[in-house]
Amino acid sequence: MAQATWEKSVSSAKITSKASGGRWKFLIGAFLILGAVGYLVVSGMLSGARYYISVAELLNNSERYAGQTVRVSGAVIGDTIAYDSENLLIDFTVVSMPEEYTNLADALHYAVNDPTAQRMQVHVDNQVKPELLQHEAQAIMTGTMGTDGIFYVSELNLKCPSRFTEDGPDQSIAQPGV
Amino acid sequence: MLAEIGYISLALSFAAAVFGAAASLYGARRKQAMWIDSGRNAALLTFPLLLVSTLALLVGLMTQDYQISYVWAVTNPTTPMFYRVTALWGSQQGSLLFWNLLMAGFAFVALLANWKLNPRLMPYFTVYSMLTLAFFIGLVLFLENPFERYWIIPGADGVGEVVQAQFAPANAVAPEAARLAETARGLNPLLRHFGMIIHPPMLYLGFVGFLVPFAFAMAALASNDLSTNWIKATRRWTLVAWLFLSLGLLLGGRWAYDVLGWGGYWGWDPVENAAFIPWLVGTAFLHSVMIQEKRGMLKVWNMFLVIFTFSSVIFGTFATRSGLIDSVHSFARSEIGAPMFFFWAGVTIVSVALIVVRWSQGALKSEHGFAGVLSRESLFVLNNVVFVALALAIFWGSFGAPIITEMVTGTDITLGPDYFYTVTVPLFIAMYILMGIAPLSAWGAVSARSLGRSILVPVGVTLAAVVLIALTGVNDPGALFGYGVVLLAAFVAGYEIVRGARARARAAGEHPLLAAVSIFTRNRRRYGGFIIHLGITVIGIGVIGSTLFQQETQRTLAIGESLQFSGYELRLDSMEYGQIADDGRQMDIANLTLKRDDEVLTTLRPRHDVFPAAADQQPMVMNIPSAYGTLENDYYVLLVGVQPSGAVTFKVYVNPLINLVWWGGLVLIAGTLIASWPTGQKAEARQRVANAVAVQRGQVTV
Repeated sequence: MAQATWEKSVSSAKITSKASGGRWKFLIGAFLILGAVGYLVVSGMLSGARYYISVAELLNNSERYAGQTVRVSGAVIGDTIAYDSENLLIDFTVVSMPEEYTNLADALHYAVNDPTAQRMQVHVDNQVKPELLQHEAQAIMTGTMGTDGIFYVSELNLKCPSRFTEDGPDQSIAQPGV
Repeated sequence: MLAEIGYISLALSFAAAVFGAAASLYGARRKQAMWIDSGRNAALLTFPLLLVSTLALLVGLMTQDYQISYVWAVTNPTTPMFYRVTALWGSQQGSLLFWNLLMAGFAFVALLANWKLNPRLMPYFTVYSMLTLAFFIGLVLFLENPFERYWIIPGADGVGEVVQAQFAPANAVAPEAARLAETARGLNPLLRHFGMIIHPPMLYLGFVGFLVPFAFAMAALASNDLSTNWIKATRRWTLVAWLFLSLGLLLGGRWAYDVLGWGGYWGWDPVENAAFIPWLVGTAFLHSVMIQEKRGMLKVWNMFLVIFTFSSVIFGTFATRSGLIDSVHSFARSEIGAPMFFFWAGVTIVSVALIVVRWSQGALKSEHGFAGVLSRESLFVLNNVVFVALALAIFWGSFGAPIITEMVTGTDITLGPDYFYTVTVPLFIAMYILMGIAPLSAWGAVSARSLGRSILVPVGVTLAAVVLIALTGVNDPGALFGYGVVLLAAFVAGYEIVRGARARARAAGEHPLLAAVSIFTRNRRRYGGFIIHLGITVIGIGVIGSTLFQQETQRTLAIGESLQFSGYELRLDSMEYGQIADDGRQMDIANLTLKRDDEVLTTLRPRHDVFPAAADQQPMVMNIPSAYGTLENDYYVLLVGVQPSGAVTFKVYVNPLINLVWWGGLVLIAGTLIASWPTGQKAEARQRVANAVAVQRGQVTV
């Protein structure tokens, strides 16, 4: 019973009348908070927004995107990957892949084997080679296009379809005579 | 046989969930107890049926039944038994089945525990919980069936065609077990971590656990029993779901830190954010629900919060499982996207419509107005605004902006970490400030002077602590301000516990230590809450230290060479090449000695693992870090590569205070367990008497 003795008491003042009188304070407070959050979101968008485009779109509109940090998606060509593990430098080439597809693995496979697909050289500084950087992986890269035509990456994410799709076994399990 | 058992049980559970919802609705509308009981029994049946179904798949995984497509996709003959078990939730189909099992389990326990206590709410609870469950079972049954098997339909030329079907097509035969085993995929190497046994289940438990408060809220709206019954019935469930979600988030961070090798634990990835959003809204709900219980206020707001929490769970699940977003965590693009989107939209629209109907009928009116800007209820509302603003800003950055800009401009725009830091840091500061001030305020009118008096001691202690931190060499004003804000919240939580214990000791004549124990046993919710606050502040200190003061370097070392960095010496002693682990992976391991002030601290063994792959696959490579952890920092080493000369390149991170993030998590768990631990009948009676006396005296316990 003594438990409540250190609690703060509810005021017996006329709460309702105070509430109606002080409603404007809450309204002003709400507008201030909304304004502050809105300001944060807008300033965050100004500093953090990146166009998410394809290799082809970047290469075909190089003036528009010059000096801008953009996010680009492309298919990795495995035999172009060069990794200097002593200085943590990675170089590779990506090709433009279709923006719309139903199967990522098929889209990547088609892209790297398409001789007409546009290619872009990529350079990554100070990064340990990611496990998924391999042939026909999808590279999602944030960075800027250099005046030398190389895309300089500050953030590299990769998606490897062979590990993320559940394709079934091929026809080799259907042995003749079975 | 296993596949048939699993599939038929799954189909029966779907039928039971649909019947349970329909019978309960009919019984509730017609007031027919027979139908209500029948609906309840059907609902209770869903859990054992799903248990049988899940066990069938688990046995298939453990016994290597590769004819089952799911078993073939996520295991192979080299997969150890531990990962065969965890493979149950290692991919879309199995994890959805497991998700259903957990959801049915929550509904099962909630039905048994509340049936007699809340007779008016329970029929509608059954309706909403079973409709939700039926939807998710339907996804597995019709779109993501893990029990489909591979069959061969012999061809005219002797070469058969491989097909995937639940039941054997005409003339089809089963493939040879040995050929299936040879080609089986194995579990994604990123998922081969001890955390796999606990992180996904915790996260799923957190997600599906919010079904219970949601279904109770909807039941209250549907039955028009809008007293505090639904809140009393759900507050412990909400805490339990919140605890699991907290654990899931923390374990996910720890997993990323241990496996992904970038020295961090949170990357503002959309999937991480999808799990964080319900946590934020659920936290807001846990606070504001107290105002409804104590003051009869915020009834509409609480309904919105509980619905927003569950709605964000569904949306996060949709975003993760539909292939909508690119993330290392996400599942493959799937057909479940469209149905999940419509289900999410339907749940949200129906829920909000029900609130509007009841609100327009005047059933959700507040019993009191706000007494003053500094009253505890006002500060709690402010705290709610901060949590909801965080959730909305993170939602906007992760999903809203990318989707809307593409719809409007035709160009994708994504928001990177800069956006999240700009928006969330000020809001987290506001959250910690409120965490420091609100507990010192009181329900009802509070003057600035009395609140100022209450906060004097904690502010004084905080300032002293900040000066001490500055004297240790920390001179970054942002860091000092951050530490100060977080420490204020910590000191207030500690101060309130001490004040409570002293008051108890004085009033009951108890020894102070006994009094401290007494206040926890007598008012678990209040003091468990303060322990949770302490846990959040410990995490906050860890986040500030590890984010602002992380150091990194890289160096190539020959055998016997050392690297001096951040006061430590790291020496490469030897290399072990080509070690083979139980699961078949080939490991190159570095043996390094870590010293400080010439004293050997430990041996570190960072690894380079190569996972064998099936014939048509590329081998998977992973760099597994090794770390030496103390409360002061983590010395985190990655084996980057072996040079042609034989020298080895390492990347080293020193992450100050990072272990406080995990230790704070443990404190948070302890606090949540205290707050949600069931109170005995005697204690409840004692609490009711205490509350009644307090109300008579014009005092209220929290």
